Amino acid sequence: MKLTMRKKENLVGWAFLAPAVVLIVIMNFVPIIQAMIMSFQSGRTGNMTFTGLTNFTRIIRDSRCIDALKITLEYVVVTVPLILALAVIMAVLLNDPKLKLKGIYRTCIFVPAAVSMVASAVIFRSLFAADGFVNSVLMNLGILENGYNFLGHPSSARIILMMVRVWKMLGYQMIFYLAALQSIDSTIYEAAKIDGATGLQQFFQITLPMLKPTMVFTIVMSVNAAIQVYDESVNLTNGGPGNATMPIAHYIYGLAFNGVPNFGYACALSMVILIVVGAMAMIQMKVGDRRE
Amino acid sequence: MKKKWIVLLLTMAMVLGALAGCTGGGSSDGEKNGDGAKVENDTGSESVNNASTGVQKMTVWCWDPTFNINAMNVAAEIYKKDHPEFELEVTEISAGDIVQKLATSTSAGNTADVLPDVILFDDSLVAQEVVSYPEVFMDLTDAGIDFSEFSEGKVACSVVDGKNYGIPFDSGAAIAAYRTDVLKDAGYTIDDFTDITWSEWIEKAKVVKEKTGKALINGQSSYNQVTVMLKSCGGSYFDEDGNIDIAGNKKIKRVCELYLEMLEAGVYQEEVGWDTYIGNINNGNVAGAMNGCWIMSSIQAASDQSGLWAITNVPSVDGVDDATNYSSQGGSTWTITNECKNVDLVIDFFNSTFAGSKELYDTILSTCAISTWIPAGESEAYTEEVEFYGNQSVYATIVDYTAKIPVSVINAYDASARQAVCTAITNVAFSGADLDEELVAAEETVSFEMEQ
Repeated sequence: MKLTMRKKENLVGWAFLAPAVVLIVIMNFVPIIQAMIMSFQSGRTGNMTFTGLTNFTRIIRDSRCIDALKITLEYVVVTVPLILALAVIMAVLLNDPKLKLKGIYRTCIFVPAAVSMVASAVIFRSLFAADGFVNSVLMNLGILENGYNFLGHPSSARIILMMVRVWKMLGYQMIFYLAALQSIDSTIYEAAKIDGATGLQQFFQITLPMLKPTMVFTIVMSVNAAIQVYDESVNLTNGGPGNATMPIAHYIYGLAFNGVPNFGYACALSMVILIVVGAMAMIQMKVGDRRE
Repeated sequence: MKKKWIVLLLTMAMVLGALAGCTGGGSSDGEKNGDGAKVENDTGSESVNNASTGVQKMTVWCWDPTFNINAMNVAAEIYKKDHPEFELEVTEISAGDIVQKLATSTSAGNTADVLPDVILFDDSLVAQEVVSYPEVFMDLTDAGIDFSEFSEGKVACSVVDGKNYGIPFDSGAAIAAYRTDVLKDAGYTIDDFTDITWSEWIEKAKVVKEKTGKALINGQSSYNQVTVMLKSCGGSYFDEDGNIDIAGNKKIKRVCELYLEMLEAGVYQEEVGWDTYIGNINNGNVAGAMNGCWIMSSIQAASDQSGLWAITNVPSVDGVDDATNYSSQGGSTWTITNECKNVDLVIDFFNSTFAGSKELYDTILSTCAISTWIPAGESEAYTEEVEFYGNQSVYATIVDYTAKIPVSVINAYDASARQAVCTAITNVAFSGADLDEELVAAEETVSFEMEQ
């Protein structure tokens, strides 16, 4: 059989895709399917039997799960828009061609993204310790009388977890926006200037619309990541005090690996999260990707 | 075009290689599976002829190079004197990772490739792991180890359904260690904190706080502290039939009340991480420490404080039955897995070392590993006066404490129950919730976890 040039090219293309596809299927999809099967099973590890939907009906009665979901939701609602807004502002400021030393600024903002979570957790723990840097500053300024145990109180601990997230993700997302900004044709701005548009008008009428595809992408990514937040709480507070900072992914991990393991239930919960994340991503793509 | 195909072939080869690596890794020798640093024993002896002598190698999982791994290595040295062909392979792996690896290897069904001969567990986890993975652990009841030579409360930690699953190792006897210089500033001596109740303790701790500005003790959240307090009155989260018993449990409620009282008074400082817990003890931010006696090795890390510390027993929970001044927290136990390749060798090893060698326990005493094997406590080394604690003979004191620890009911869900009670405490302390309601909620949480 003689292949046409086009078919040949296609074949080569697919062949190059194949290695990645094979790896992703084996490393990601097979475990997902196995987890899906396990979500209908319960019993001791290594000796599980099918029990239908019991794991899923269990979720509704699980007050700790509901708490964990609330904490996760709060986390998403606060961090995602905050990171988005700050990243866009930073990117626009750092994209100014007249700005000097911007390489240094960009590096400074990006560095947190490159620091491992464990290392940043240690830094933040010592910063906010009862005798840490933040407390010393506040006490020296006379704002506090005694050291406040920031990570020991539920609400302040949650705020710090969010701060760490913003601090870490800001630089990472900013890079996307910087790249997008640089691909905007400068002639558009010149034309706008000639038409008498102010800087603010340029930002809202040109920059933001041009950044929309990037925004959709980063929002999907960061919502996704925020729902699955895990390493912050594990490393900084270990879910405490009590369960005040335990997001859903951390809770699922605990179900399987701490205490008496309940793999079936953990898998069922992960499936629910999978569906939620998938649905969120779809909605965001639909809303964000309206091509006129 | 040709180049393209070559690249493609190479890429495929890479993928196949990667996959082979993944699957191959599991089936290879267990020693490759340790993701912690592998700790070699220092003899580097040649591998012996397994066919004629049987496997003379014992593989072990445990954590802490200066404590558990050190003890294992010392034991191996002693055993090698009579068994020169014996070989020990210790894999350093954290307590948390052990639990995780057990879960993954049993659910993947490849325990034979992964698990070592011997695994160390914290006392509070043995029952949980044995109940979760009964096929993994060897029943040692009739294996030839004389459990009557170990302290009774300690052995009970590794007994499930009347069967012994572990060989006790170090003592978790609770001690209260205080900075005598700080106590002196507040007008107290160590005797003022000996054989007292928690109510008295709180009153005195308030004076210390007032005069020196220091909290008397600290702890990582409430976990260990609640355990120390509850076990001192023989309390448990479960009754003897394994039924959850939190909401109506007078001992638990009293412990929570006392804990909240000392938290409120600022005489107990909650820490978020282990690092800050140890850090604040070592740099003198708190005036003492209360935990299992293994905490001494961390206290002694601040060698500049030599002579400034003294130890005594813990306060007793006043207002409940069976209150004592003795308790336990932590300590660990060796278990043998059913994947053990040479059971006779391993049992003989333990009979000659952890269950039969005063020399071993004398040697590791310097790392503050206090024996639960009763004959070791009679050794002369235990009467030694330790300069760090103002020439107090601390080891003999702790052996004495160990014998007096009340026995409490052990349950596989202890860790879950403790977590639930600590959450209740947090909710009361920081969100103003009602203690009784929170304890009912805690009981519901645990019974929810237990039905599966």
